[in-house]
Amino acid sequence: MLTSKPMTSRERVLASIAHQQPDQVPVDLGATPSSGISAIAYYNLKKYLGINTGHTRVYDVVQQLAQPEDDILARFGVDVIDVGRAFNTQDSDWYDVTLPTGQEVQFPAWFKPVQQADGSWDVFDADGDRIATMPRGATFFDQTYFPYLDGYPDSYDDLPKLMPKVHWAGLAHSPWDHAGEPDFWQKLREKAIYLRENTDKALMIVAGCNLFEWGTFLRRLDNFLMDIMLQPAEVERLLDALMEIHLQTLEKICHTVGDVVDIIRFGDDLGTNQGPFFPVATYRQLFKPRHTILCNYVKEHSQMHTFLHSCGSIYKLLPDLIEAGFEIINPVQINSRDMEPERLKKEFGQDITFWGGGADTRHKLNSGTPAEVKKHVTELLEIFSPGGGFVFNTVHNIMPDVPPENILAMFEAVDEFNRAGA
Amino acid sequence: MPSDRLDTIYNAIIDGDADTATVEAQAALKEGIPASEILYNACVPAMEEVGSLFERGEKFVAEMLIASRAMNAVVEILKPHLVDGDVNIIGTVVIGTVAGDLHDIGKNLVGMMLEGAGFKIIDLGANVDPAKFVDAVRQNQPDIVGMSALLTTTMPAIRTTIQTLKEAGLREQVKILIGGAPVTQEFADTVGADAFAPDAGSAARIAKSLVGVA
Repeated sequence: MLTSKPMTSRERVLASIAHQQPDQVPVDLGATPSSGISAIAYYNLKKYLGINTGHTRVYDVVQQLAQPEDDILARFGVDVIDVGRAFNTQDSDWYDVTLPTGQEVQFPAWFKPVQQADGSWDVFDADGDRIATMPRGATFFDQTYFPYLDGYPDSYDDLPKLMPKVHWAGLAHSPWDHAGEPDFWQKLREKAIYLRENTDKALMIVAGCNLFEWGTFLRRLDNFLMDIMLQPAEVERLLDALMEIHLQTLEKICHTVGDVVDIIRFGDDLGTNQGPFFPVATYRQLFKPRHTILCNYVKEHSQMHTFLHSCGSIYKLLPDLIEAGFEIINPVQINSRDMEPERLKKEFGQDITFWGGGADTRHKLNSGTPAEVKKHVTELLEIFSPGGGFVFNTVHNIMPDVPPENILAMFEAVDEFNRAGA
Repeated sequence: MPSDRLDTIYNAIIDGDADTATVEAQAALKEGIPASEILYNACVPAMEEVGSLFERGEKFVAEMLIASRAMNAVVEILKPHLVDGDVNIIGTVVIGTVAGDLHDIGKNLVGMMLEGAGFKIIDLGANVDPAKFVDAVRQNQPDIVGMSALLTTTMPAIRTTIQTLKEAGLREQVKILIGGAPVTQEFADTVGADAFAPDAGSAARIAKSLVGVA
């Protein structure tokens, strides 16, 4: 390693996904909406670092996540970026807001939540329906409108129109907040190429194409969980309607940026703290065949690697997720049942890349001392990094309660680990 | 044979098969099996088994939900046949998701499992202010207050609620049981809760021990 040339960020990420040992551990902060940082934590971090320039731009308004700025990416040696960051780059795309917790941030120009007398913030869609709310004391928006709450429709013709009534779609982060514009796909290609030519970083596109989760968005989680057990045929009819829409999206993504972008991120939260939401056999029956179709489409029509975000304890599903064609798994929720880092690395380290699992955001990063954080992160780096198949990131987003000192301690641990290994 | 009938109801509830469970419950009533026997020898043990299978990782949330639905369907059939003294409420639980937190799936599951175990549930919903917990304790004199938080950022509201109960002079009247994704035994100890349950299955078991029912 001493004599070889350092890898570029992109080479580092791609080597790790190919399960080759990169020159140093690749790092993500903010390339996906599950590997990012809350606007509150980001604002506090910048203040702590004495950075008075730039803005805390809340690019993901649902989760209230900040788009990390170039100087922050450089400071922490981040190796991968989301193509969405090339959109909304003008000052006029944003406006100033002071959060209830006091942080001065910016919201996208199109995002206009309404503050209510009780201190909560509501979001209404063009039809006047309340699609999201953030209660007083909360730090992100929850879904309030469930289009198929009362049951399954006879026809799915109206599904594309109803999807934006779900806040995840109606309040989509960049680049998808521009998706309705006539020149969107051309712009997406131009901006992706711009990023490819002007940075050395790996490029990510967040595609979603959620299946189980769209069921829960449309029917509500409790109903949909019962549906998949009690009326699987009805669920399959919904999933087929969703697949038609998802495949149209995938076709456009692959055609537009499939030769430019490196990684495509899918999402589907399949796990709870204690295990998958449903039996493995249910995954095999309802979701695996469709996940396989999505992954195969990407592999046949692009150079992109397939990335799945699924929260929770998914140890029991990992063999099937790997078989379905996912090459990368995030956020590697090591604090859930059966998700011990050593076990995951030993059993699946050859077959899938762990994108996350680098710091526990639930107990350590938020409430440990900086010294405890460093020790914790170093131990995880020692487990996950050998042989590649690892991109460093926290377990899900850095939440508002994480002190800046601990974020710095975490990245110091990565830096020291990389220096020691160089 | 009555025991076969009860076994079928027991197994149907565990499998989440509400149709079989209700048909069999009706047949059992017709055969003269007392409603209380169906409730306490089939339904309650079935939910106990579901909780224990869930704790062991052998049942999943979706299956727990349909089991609970099947149990409720049977209870609806039994209700008109249950007379005073048949139903033994083992305790009252005031339950809610704490202020600032709208996530109620886990809390609802806990409510269902506690109900299945024989508790009376007073569900305050989600985003419940400490003052609302205080009012509910005053009004209902529960044995247990159950609080849930999904987020690290709303966990502190558990502490605030316990503090508010203390200030109202009500803390010593109730046992406090807490849970939710980021909650741990260590956190429960720190905030002075009486117990922590990592999931809905263990919540029913732990709640029973809190009220002295083995």
